[in-house]
Amino acid sequence: MFKRISFLLLGSALASPVIFAAQPERPIIEHTMLMDHGDGHLMDMDGGMIMGQNKDKLPAGCDRVSEDVQITVHAGHKYARKFPGTMFAFDQQEWKVKPCARLTVNFINEDNIRHQWMMHGLPKFMYDKGMFHLEVTGPAKISGTLILPKEDRTYLVHCDMAQHMEKGMKGQLVVGNGSTPFPSIPGLTDQAIPDSYPTPPPVKVDTSKPVTAAPVTPAASQTTTGLSGTYLFGILLGAFGTPFLVQAYRKQYAGMPAGEVIGQLTTTARKTYLYALAWLQSLYHQIRRGK
Amino acid sequence: MTPPMTALAVNTPPPSTKIELGEAEPFCNSGAPQEWRKAQVLEGVSIQESRVCNPDNPADIAAFTKGTNNISMQTLMDTSNLAADAVIMSDDVDKDGDPDHIIIKLEILELNGHSPDFPGVVPSFDIAPGIQPGFWVFAPKSRDMSTRSFASVEANPLIRMPSPPIRVEQGDTVWLVVENTHYFPHSIHLHGVDHPFMDHSGEGNDGVGQTSQMDIMPGESKTYVIKPRQPGTMYYHCHVQPHTHIPMGLAGMFIVEENRPNNWVQTFNVGAGQVRHPSVGVMEKYSQEYDIHYQSIDKELHALPQSANDPRLIAKAMNQDYDITDASDDYFILNGRAFPYTLRESLITVNQNEKVKLRVLNGHTETMALHAHGHKATETHYDGVEQNPQAQITRDVYMLAPAQRLDLALNTTDDGLHSFGAGIWMFHDHVEKAFTTNGMGEGGSISLIAYKNYLDENGTPKTHGMDLKPYFTKAFWERKIPVWQDYVDDWNSLGEPAGMRAEEPKATSPRPAVTAQASTPAVADGSPWAGLFPGLLLGIAGYLTYAYRLTLLGYINQLISTFKAKQ
Repeated sequence: MFKRISFLLLGSALASPVIFAAQPERPIIEHTMLMDHGDGHLMDMDGGMIMGQNKDKLPAGCDRVSEDVQITVHAGHKYARKFPGTMFAFDQQEWKVKPCARLTVNFINEDNIRHQWMMHGLPKFMYDKGMFHLEVTGPAKISGTLILPKEDRTYLVHCDMAQHMEKGMKGQLVVGNGSTPFPSIPGLTDQAIPDSYPTPPPVKVDTSKPVTAAPVTPAASQTTTGLSGTYLFGILLGAFGTPFLVQAYRKQYAGMPAGEVIGQLTTTARKTYLYALAWLQSLYHQIRRGK
Repeated sequence: MTPPMTALAVNTPPPSTKIELGEAEPFCNSGAPQEWRKAQVLEGVSIQESRVCNPDNPADIAAFTKGTNNISMQTLMDTSNLAADAVIMSDDVDKDGDPDHIIIKLEILELNGHSPDFPGVVPSFDIAPGIQPGFWVFAPKSRDMSTRSFASVEANPLIRMPSPPIRVEQGDTVWLVVENTHYFPHSIHLHGVDHPFMDHSGEGNDGVGQTSQMDIMPGESKTYVIKPRQPGTMYYHCHVQPHTHIPMGLAGMFIVEENRPNNWVQTFNVGAGQVRHPSVGVMEKYSQEYDIHYQSIDKELHALPQSANDPRLIAKAMNQDYDITDASDDYFILNGRAFPYTLRESLITVNQNEKVKLRVLNGHTETMALHAHGHKATETHYDGVEQNPQAQITRDVYMLAPAQRLDLALNTTDDGLHSFGAGIWMFHDHVEKAFTTNGMGEGGSISLIAYKNYLDENGTPKTHGMDLKPYFTKAFWERKIPVWQDYVDDWNSLGEPAGMRAEEPKATSPRPAVTAQASTPAVADGSPWAGLFPGLLLGIAGYLTYAYRLTLLGYINQLISTFKAKQ
């Protein structure tokens, strides 16, 4: 008994860390010591990176910062839990700010790999490549600030690592009333090219049984088959073959009482019928096996 | 007596028609600056010249050799978006002038992947014009976008086939950090590389889920710790569902260079091919070094990650539906590309009287038979272990089983044995299908040993045969161009007969046929012969009715009259 318990304990001790906590939770490191490369491009030697940082330059048409907004975005595999068919996600999929808002994004990556909060479509004369971009290898936090243009517009936000956006790490930032929403945002918009999920094939009636049953009910098979080729062939064979058959057996049955003739014929017919049935069945099975 | 000619009805076959090539790419479109090809010293790292169309970026070579932590910020910014923490080198433990603690970070990324937003693939990597199989690769840790720009779907140059050869020095303490940035579980198995089964912290180190350590889950990372005692050409690959993950691309060369003083080795050789900063040990015996990685691709397998977006559907298709025992390979690639793209980056460029070290890995699913035209090279190492120099074999076909590595010494001395002299000599796997691309020749993993006087300044070989233009069109690989069009004569004797090509394939024609067949179930009970017996009975009845029609009519008349009489 004691042995069994210790075995169980050992088993659970071995199994639980492996299966349920593949990696121990590591503390979130905040990246604040970044080197400024100019043009709002900041980097550190541990993979922390900010592109398009802008704390004070007003975009054209904005005479002042309309509001100061802070958002905190969590990213990681665990946020994909509520969206079946995804693998990575942000904790929110949509953020709304006013035109000319100064937005500070606190980006917390909770995975042990690189993730990004990348925004496209900003005016290129202010933001290099039209991008605002936060990147960090988790578990870590990095924060960046930008000032949004005055136009109502919806911006794509995603992680640009191959397949991270496709597999769920996608959202949008709506400025003012926004513009056309982006497709394939988990829980928000439909995929432009949806997957097709195979459904189980319709339940089939067992096909082996009717083989034996069908010839017994010729009426039924007649109605369903119609004038199939073999059916017609049967009619022709019957109509033109019988005279020869009659000719051949006439001598044999000459002089016999009618009752006896009928009796003998019935037996022969029954035998032939059973023989044909067996032959048809074996033929059918052969064809099925062949497939 | 010959009959008059006019009396015969002559059926003249159709004349030859000319099929348009369509758009052909230029031989070299890499856009690489001319300076990248030159021999140079950057960050104190001597970099050999590279005479090919698509040379490695010297900034990448410097970063891989010195470590991203030991180069200037400018060089780091000049790399192909290498992460600042991609390769960290420190601690000269044995005080011999080179670092002995190397931290190498790898990510796992998908090439030619599915998108739920548009019909194409992203980030794209073509192995030949228009051919984009899905791949998974280990890649040096990078920064910023996976594509070259927001407007481009083409993959960043660091993310490509094959997974990069990794080089370390014998005796280095190497931390191989795998950050699983892919949506499936993965691992690394260090095939042939000296590594302990368990590391010091008690974690499995062999990369095998069933025996060593749970696989690395999406979003997780794992550090493999090694201190290899023996040098040699080795191998690394993912050991999760390896029958699909290895062919998908999660496999690369792992080279342990001999320990020497002041020996800074080039940690990554992205895209394999020429090693532009060979190790001290190699340079003692050779003038150049090349990594040569052969791979084969079953196009059906590589289409599966493109078939759906939901990882569960892809997992089902690959793990449960795909059957490798029914599979066959369609594409054959050398260092990630098929002919003619191999000519842009996988040439072995030589001068006369050189000795060149070739490290070859067979990453195929089957045995290969490598052959070099015009040369007989010497087999020096098998699976990283040196063959007794007295017993080394010099030959022109080299057998490699899957996963085997072979080191070759290529001697370009024109003596009629080792080399037949300068030229552009092909080298290829002599298994016939390996020089096709989906069965179209010449394709596959063909490349060239090109003597440098046969190369122009952009790395284009000065060929003396046919025009290579058709090979640079998509139409050729789509099987639209007759291979011998315009070859034979000006009336195109081996072109395509006119009228063989349908103008517009009628997409609707096959469908009604299918539905028509489906709407007339042949026989209700499934057997096609079941109609015979009732038919036969009816036929007999019909005959009897006819034969005894008079009796029958008489009987009916009798019945009718009886009926009438009763009334």
